[in-house]
Amino acid sequence: MDDLVLAMLVRALAFGTPILLAGLGEIYAERSGVVNLGVEGMMAVGALAAFAVAQSSGSPYLGVLAALLAAALVSLPFALASITLRANQYVAGLALTMLGLGVSGLLGKPYEGAPLAHPLPEAGFIVTALLLAVLLWFFLQHTYGGLVLRSAGENPETVDAMGIDVYRVRYAAVIFGGAMSGLAGAFLSLAYRPSWADGITSGLGWIAVALAIFAAWHPLKAVGAALLFGALYHLSYRLQAAVSPEFLKAMPYLFVVVVLSLSALRKGPSGAPESLGIPYVRGERR
Amino acid sequence: MRKGLLAVLLVLLVAAGFAQGDKLKACWIYVGPVGDYGWSHAHDQGRIAAEKALPWLETQYVESVPEAQAEAYIDRLVKQGCEVVFATSFGYMDSVLAAARKHPDVIFAHATGFKRAPNVATYMADFYQLYYLNGLMAGALTKSGKVGYVAAFPIPELKRHISAFALGVRAVNPDAEVLVRWIYEWYNPAAAKEATEALIAEGADVFAFTEDTPTVIQVAAKKGLPSFSHYSPMKRFAPELVVSGQLVHWEKVYIDFLAKVYAGVYTSKNLQDVDYWWLLSQGAVELGGEYGEPVNPRFVSALKARKVNHPVFGKVSVYDLVVKELALMRDVELAFDPFQGPIKDRRGKMRVPAGLRLTKHELETMEWAAPGIKGPWPNEPK
Repeated sequence: MDDLVLAMLVRALAFGTPILLAGLGEIYAERSGVVNLGVEGMMAVGALAAFAVAQSSGSPYLGVLAALLAAALVSLPFALASITLRANQYVAGLALTMLGLGVSGLLGKPYEGAPLAHPLPEAGFIVTALLLAVLLWFFLQHTYGGLVLRSAGENPETVDAMGIDVYRVRYAAVIFGGAMSGLAGAFLSLAYRPSWADGITSGLGWIAVALAIFAAWHPLKAVGAALLFGALYHLSYRLQAAVSPEFLKAMPYLFVVVVLSLSALRKGPSGAPESLGIPYVRGERR
Repeated sequence: MRKGLLAVLLVLLVAAGFAQGDKLKACWIYVGPVGDYGWSHAHDQGRIAAEKALPWLETQYVESVPEAQAEAYIDRLVKQGCEVVFATSFGYMDSVLAAARKHPDVIFAHATGFKRAPNVATYMADFYQLYYLNGLMAGALTKSGKVGYVAAFPIPELKRHISAFALGVRAVNPDAEVLVRWIYEWYNPAAAKEATEALIAEGADVFAFTEDTPTVIQVAAKKGLPSFSHYSPMKRFAPELVVSGQLVHWEKVYIDFLAKVYAGVYTSKNLQDVDYWWLLSQGAVELGGEYGEPVNPRFVSALKARKVNHPVFGKVSVYDLVVKELALMRDVELAFDPFQGPIKDRRGKMRVPAGLRLTKHELETMEWAAPGIKGPWPNEPK
């Protein structure tokens, strides 16, 4: 029995790591007021950049760095469209997902089917993700920078009145979110399954988006949520001998629906940033 | 002068016309990306090999075609001059038939399907014989008596393969079990990884799978456990631990079919009964995790050390058994088949009476589970 619990915890941590990393990035972007549905695409770009650079340079650490940069870079057109040009954030995010998946699939062709010479251990990423969760929580809740970030998502006019550029804050949050998605991608292609394949993210980016909501936009709660998703995912294979596999497969998603409905019933604020999804227009009253 | 030019032009035109007539344009539609290193990748390798082998062949392909949109893609390919269209996913079946009615002069071939028409043939290269041989080796190599199998969808094709595999395992190791986990996806590395981890936690120590990435091999290798490659040469992902596997040679089917089209044997009028069901004896499939190497040399001594009492060969090592049965199945006489009676299913019901073999139709519609298979089995017949 102890074995079962231990194995489950280890697997929950490993499976939870990419969704936690990308989810933390998404929490930051959303706390600044920008919904970025492009996580899946940025993660794929990160995974490819990590693999390509790690493979050609021989250093997986350079690969991680490349993933951070590449994913941050592809988040730029999204930031430009949704923040500066005030396009619909949801549409722009979907476009980013398609762009990221398409570009990585195309550029990744030469790397298909090649094993990675020097993979990284999963444990390093797991510890990094947990540490980052704590750090990001501290920054968000207990520093001036965090306050500014949260204000940009709640009440951007105030931030503006304080003489701080709302656009700059939101750009920074989106680019940071991109880099975190890239790190999640690097985990996938360098540690979790050290190789590259078109569509390697297989929906994890979308779970990360759900995670941000599920965790009520709170970095520490995101850890618990990621663990829960991971445990449910692992259990859906452990219990298959006893319970119908179709039901188990649907369980994590059912769970999200139930918890979201319950939190909607709860009285008081939902925890969603006030100005989430609303492009900021300077000098305009709402 | 003018007349001369005109004559030259005319000659050129006629020559061009002939040159065009000499060429045959064949087109492929794939359900996944060519780089999936699984199903679509293998078909594309077949296309490339056919193009190399047949100098008069011109090819084109479209990848990642959603099953619902196949008809529109086929229309476009026909407009671009495709004379033969290969549709490589089961889900294209009805689209292919609809397109075939619309374009009666175009020749279609549909992989894995069972509906044909005067201009629609079907084809399949099946692995069940190889799965049996892999099962023999897995049965010899498992120490825990538990063999793990990560499976995509509970459809007859996989049930046939897993049952053949389990029959092989049990032929060597009568008490061994094959633990099956379904991931309900052809392509999902994360799901394959977690399913493998779950099987490892339950004590499985040898692995086989049906999923389009080498994930299972990589996860097993991390724990030092042996596995069997699937579809593409995946030995390179764990050179020390991939025992054997299944490889496909779609080009054998493609070259044969296209040569017959080119020679006028197959036309858009006579394909109603053309159904390729190609196995080892046609060379459409190959045993191994790497081309030209049926068994990884690192495992030969372990397989030679394990002896079994075989009803035909007497006391024989598992390695020799694999070699002998492989030779028998390669032969056109087919003196051996994994689904050779008497075989009962895991519930004890007789499925293949003594002296009989399953027919192609029975194989294609198989739902029962062979003894030793543990795990859920949707649509299992009573």
